[in-house]
Amino acid sequence: MKHYKKMVYPYVAWISVMVVAPMLLIMFYAFTKDGNAVLDFVFTLENFKKFFSDTIFISVLGRSLKIAVITTVICLAVGYPAGYFISKCADGVKMKWILLITFPTWINMMVRTYAWRGILQDDGIINKFFGLFGLGPVPMLNTGFAVVLGMVYNFLPFMIIQIYTSLAKLDTSLLEAAADLGANKTKSFLRITLPLSIPGVLSGITLVFLPAVSSFYIPEMLGGGRYYMIGNLIETQFLTTENWNFGSAVSLIMVIIIIVSMYFTGKADKTEIMEQRGN
Amino acid sequence: MKRQNKLSSKILMWVLALFFYAPIIYAIVFSFNEGKSLTNFTGFSFQWYGKMFRDREMKEAVFYTIVIAALATVLSTLFGTVAAIGLSKSNKGLKFAVEQINNLPIMNPDIVTAIGLLVLFATLHFKNGFGTMLLAHVMFCTPYVILSVMPRLRGLDPNLAEAAMDLGATPLYALWKVVIPQIMPGIISGALTAFTMSFDDFVISFFVQGNGVSNISIIVYTMSKRVNPSINALATLVTVIISVFLLLANIVPSKIGKKKNLALPA
Amino acid sequence: MKKRFMITALVMALIASCFSGCGGAKEKLKLYIWGEYLGEDVISNFEKEYNCRVIVEYFDSNEMMYTKLAGGSAYDVLVPSDYMIERLINEKMLQPIDKSAIPNISLLADGVKNMGYDPDNTYSVPYFWGTCGIVYNKNNVDYSDLENEGFGIMKNPKYKGKLYMYNSSRDSFMIALKQLGYSCNTENENEINEAYKWLIELDEATEPVYVTDLVIDSMAQGEKDLAIMYSGDAAYVLGENENMSYYTPACGTNIWCDAMVIPTNAENPTLANKFINYMLTKEACMDNTLTVGYTSPNAEVLAEVTAEGGDYAENEAYLPRTYALDEIYHDNETIRRLTNDLWTKIVANE
Repeated sequence: MKHYKKMVYPYVAWISVMVVAPMLLIMFYAFTKDGNAVLDFVFTLENFKKFFSDTIFISVLGRSLKIAVITTVICLAVGYPAGYFISKCADGVKMKWILLITFPTWINMMVRTYAWRGILQDDGIINKFFGLFGLGPVPMLNTGFAVVLGMVYNFLPFMIIQIYTSLAKLDTSLLEAAADLGANKTKSFLRITLPLSIPGVLSGITLVFLPAVSSFYIPEMLGGGRYYMIGNLIETQFLTTENWNFGSAVSLIMVIIIIVSMYFTGKADKTEIMEQRGN
Repeated sequence: MKRQNKLSSKILMWVLALFFYAPIIYAIVFSFNEGKSLTNFTGFSFQWYGKMFRDREMKEAVFYTIVIAALATVLSTLFGTVAAIGLSKSNKGLKFAVEQINNLPIMNPDIVTAIGLLVLFATLHFKNGFGTMLLAHVMFCTPYVILSVMPRLRGLDPNLAEAAMDLGATPLYALWKVVIPQIMPGIISGALTAFTMSFDDFVISFFVQGNGVSNISIIVYTMSKRVNPSINALATLVTVIISVFLLLANIVPSKIGKKKNLALPA
Repeated sequence: MKKRFMITALVMALIASCFSGCGGAKEKLKLYIWGEYLGEDVISNFEKEYNCRVIVEYFDSNEMMYTKLAGGSAYDVLVPSDYMIERLINEKMLQPIDKSAIPNISLLADGVKNMGYDPDNTYSVPYFWGTCGIVYNKNNVDYSDLENEGFGIMKNPKYKGKLYMYNSSRDSFMIALKQLGYSCNTENENEINEAYKWLIELDEATEPVYVTDLVIDSMAQGEKDLAIMYSGDAAYVLGENENMSYYTPACGTNIWCDAMVIPTNAENPTLANKFINYMLTKEACMDNTLTVGYTSPNAEVLAEVTAEGGDYAENEAYLPRTYALDEIYHDNETIRRLTNDLWTKIVANE
C-alpha cells in the first residue's frame, strides 16, 4: 500500500498555494502600510491601532457579537425543543420532519433571504395581517429585527439537526433504567438527556454563531445599511474603499475572536460540525 | 398534561415549518404576479418568466452556476479522493499537517476565505472570471470530499489491496477494482456535498467573480436592489431544479440513511 | 447509485445547455457598465447590426469598477463617472478614442462636450449626465424647509426615520461641504472634518437608511419622504410617482457625467469605437433615455423629450436646474482615502 503514498503530493502543493498562501497574504497585508506596493513594504501595527482606538469600530464589533449572540440564543431556544420533539417521534415520522427541515436549506439561501424583503415590507403580508386589527404598519424591514430574523431563518436548521442527532444517539435504555429506579420525567431529562445532548448543543452553537458573526449579505439585504456588522466592514474595505491592509487586519481580528469563542465550545465535535456545514 | 405537551410541540413544529417555507411559497406565488409589486398580488401572469428567459444576464448566471457546480464537483471529487487515499498512507506528521490545513477553509468564515483568494489572484495577476471562480470552488469543495472519504478509508482492510497486488494486479488496477468500490459511498456523499456547496455559494464567488461570469446568488444579490419580480421567477426555477435534482439523485433516502448512520452509536 | 448519478449529471448538463446562449466564433465586445443603465434593445440591435456578441457586466460603484479593472479584468468599453475617468487617465489606464471612427460625436449637446475631467474628449464620450439633489414627497415635506435649509433638511429632526442617504462617501461629503459653503473639491482637512461632524450629526439626528440603487424603487413607491438621488434616478421616480419632486439647493451641487471610455487592455478596441459611435445615434440615445430616465447627451433627443408633449416635458429632474456654485468633482487620492475612512465610520455609527 506504500504505492499510494505519493498520491497526496499534488494536494499538498495545491493547499500550499490555495489555502496557506492566501492566509499568509492576509497577514502580510494586515501588518503592512497602506499603498499596495508589495516590494517596499513597511511593517506596522497601524491597522490594528486604527481599529482599537476608534469607538465606532469597537461598536461595530460589539454589534456583530450582540446580533450573533441573540441569533444563537433564539436558535437554541427554538431548536432544542424542535430537535427533542423529532427525536421522540416514531421512525417514519422522524424522517419526514428531518426532510421537511433540511429541504429548504438545499435551495439557494440568497433567493430565500430575498423573499423576506417582500414579506417584511410596510405593506407586506405581515403588516396587512396587522392591518386587519387596525394595527401598524409596524416597520420591520431595515431594522435589527429583520437582520436577526434573516439569520435565524438561515441558520436554525443547523441547530435543530445537531441537537436531534445528539438526542437520537441517546441510549433509551438509560431512560428506562432511570424510570425503573423511580426518576420522574423532569428528573431523568435533567440528569440524563440534557447532559448527554450537550455536545450537540455546542456544535449547534458553533454552527450558528460562526456564520452569524461574519455575515455581510444578511445585514445588507434586510438591515438597509443601518446594521453595519464586521463582515460589512471587511467587504467595504476590499470592494469599495480599497484599503486592503485595514480590511485584512479587521479579518484577522475577527478570526481571532472566532478562535477564542470556539475555545469555549471546545467540547464540540469538530468533524460533525464540518459534516453539517457541508449539508 | 402529557397531551398538552405533545400538542404544544406539534404547534411549535408546524409554526417552524411555516417559517421555513413561507418565503419559498411567497416567492413562487409572486413570480406569477401580473404587477411589479412584491406585496400586492394583482393578477396571474407568466410575464416575469418571459422576462427571465429573455434576460441574458440571468440565463448566463444559471448556466455558469450549473457548469461551475458540475465541474467543481467532478474535479474536487477526483482530487479529494486521490488525496485522501494518499493521505491515509502518509506518515503521521504529514497527515496531521494536511488535515489541519484541510480544515481551514471549512472552519474559516467564508468572507476570510474569499478575501484570501481575492488577494491571491490579484497577487498572481490572474484575471477574475470563469477560471478564478472554478479554482475557488474546487478549493472550498475538496476539503469536504476528503472529510467524507477519510472515514471510509480508515475502515478499509489494508491487506485487500496487497493481496490483489500479490496476485499480479498493478497498483492502479488494485486501486480501481479493490479500493475505490469500497470507499464509493464516501465518494458519492462527498460529491453531493461538493455540488450543493458550489451551487449555493455566494460570498466566495462574489469576491472572485469577473468578466461577465457570475452565479445565481450574485445576480440575486445585485438585482435585489431594484424591484424585480423576475428574481421570484428565478427562485421558482431554482426550487424546481433542486427538487428534481433531489428526486433524481435519490438523495432523500441516502441522506436519511446517513442520518441514521450518525444516529447509531459508531 | 452510480447510474443514477450519471443520469442526474446528464440532466444537469441538458438544463445547462438550454441556458447557454449562442456560443459561436462571433466577435466579442466586453462592456462594463452601471446596473440598469441600458435601453431595452440597444445591445441586441448593436449585435445584429455588427454581427457580434456583447458581454455585459454591471458594477454599482465606480470604486468597484476600478477594483475589478486594477485586478486585471479586461473590458473593451467602460462607462465610469467623470472623476474616475480623470483618475484612469492619470494612471494611464485608458487609450484615446478614435474620433475618425466616431462621427456621431457631433450629435452631442454643447453642455456635455469638453468637460473638465477630459477637456478635449480625447479619452471619453459622454453617455448620461445630470446633478445630485433631493427627491421629496410634495405632500409631506414643506417646500419652505427645502428653501431655507437646502441639504440641511436632511438633518431636520422633523423628518427623522423618513429619509434615505446615498451610501457613497463622495456624494455624502459633497452634500455636507456644499451645505457648509465649501467646495466639494476642497483639500483643506479642517473643512473635511467639519463635513464629517455634519454627517455624524445628520446620522444621529435623523437616522437615515444608507442605500444605493434600493432607493429608486422605494421612493417610486413612496416609502420615505426624502432622499438624496442622482437626477436621472429622480426622473424615473418622478415619472412613477406624481407626489414626488426634485430639488437642487442654491448652495450648489455636483454636476456629473458618466462617459464611455476604452481601457488600455481592451481586447477589441476597433469594435469598441464602433460601439461608442453606435451609442450616440438618436435611436440608441432615445432607447437609453426612455428606458433608464437619465439625461441624454444627444442634443436632438434632449430637445425632443423635453419639448411639450415629450416624455419628460414636466419632469423637474430630467433637465435639472443648475446654479453658478455647481461643480464637477475631481479626483484626489489623499482626500479620497481620508473621506473613505471617515465615511466608513459614519455608516458604522449606530
